[in-house]
Amino acid sequence: MRFADPRPDGRAIVYAAIQADPLVDRCAAALADASTGQRILARAVMNGEPADPAEWRAMFPALFGAAVPAAEGARSQAILDLALEVAARGEESRSQVRGAIVEALAERLVARRTGPVRRERRILFDGVASEIHPYDLTVERTDGVAEAWDCKWGARGIRAEVLHQLDDARRHAVDEGATLLVGLVVFDARRSCEVRLLRERGPVAAGAVKLVAIEQLDRLAGGRPAA
Amino acid sequence: MVTVGELIERAVAAHARLGLVAEEVEDEATYLADLQAAWAARLRAVAAARGGEPADPAVVAALDAAEAQVDRIADPHRAFDWLSTLPQVVLLSLGEAP
Repeated sequence: MRFADPRPDGRAIVYAAIQADPLVDRCAAALADASTGQRILARAVMNGEPADPAEWRAMFPALFGAAVPAAEGARSQAILDLALEVAARGEESRSQVRGAIVEALAERLVARRTGPVRRERRILFDGVASEIHPYDLTVERTDGVAEAWDCKWGARGIRAEVLHQLDDARRHAVDEGATLLVGLVVFDARRSCEVRLLRERGPVAAGAVKLVAIEQLDRLAGGRPAA
Repeated sequence: MVTVGELIERAVAAHARLGLVAEEVEDEATYLADLQAAWAARLRAVAAARGGEPADPAVVAALDAAEAQVDRIADPHRAFDWLSTLPQVVLLSLGEAP
């Protein structure tokens, strides 16, 4: 098992520019230290229709209510402001930026636990035709458990072909005597992801592909979900 | 007095309205039905446990704001995303696990 850069193509060039958008990094940095509630706020706003910030604050009394400590309220407000910046983008740009934010957030969290973490890399196996699509994140360890993660904004991104590619990589690694942990990071509710997995999993064994949903993102960093 | 049970029935109704918008994504009909059933069950489980409780005014305001947002959503893909978001907003406001 070895890791390699993808073949350069137009999509990669365009996507690299999106990943380099400073707003992506600012959002990922804020969300890496956010609570589950704050992450759900960000998801709601980034996918919402234009609304007065006061309406969003009313929607999340646990983040902005009178009993919330000032520092925590300020953190929630900072996340709301960032999410409103994303929501203000045009529909296509908003969609691209959201996907890049999930990847950048996952990278930050995984890097707190292990490394080296790389982006957009392929995994090659002897005698196996290489996959066309690179993985969003890889942990390229040769002295332990390597990892490959795909990142999705929503549960609808969980598709049979994505699960099969991840599971095939896991099984090829086993064939070579290596260990590759494979999984999906989804910025969506676990319940919605589980409903989707039941439909899309097919012959992929339950648990073969790890699922980290919005409520458990801190597990990527080796921790328990924030309150 | 508004009860938690009444609020949850409003949330389930708003969820169903989102489902009507999301129906335009025809190749996701089965997933849509499964998703609606799963979330309605989760919300109604809270109503079964706490339905008679008076709802905090802040929670009523939260649902008002969420419904205002839901009623502006006309894009079916956005509606799909909100099928997860709306129940999580309601559950968080009630202090339940999202």
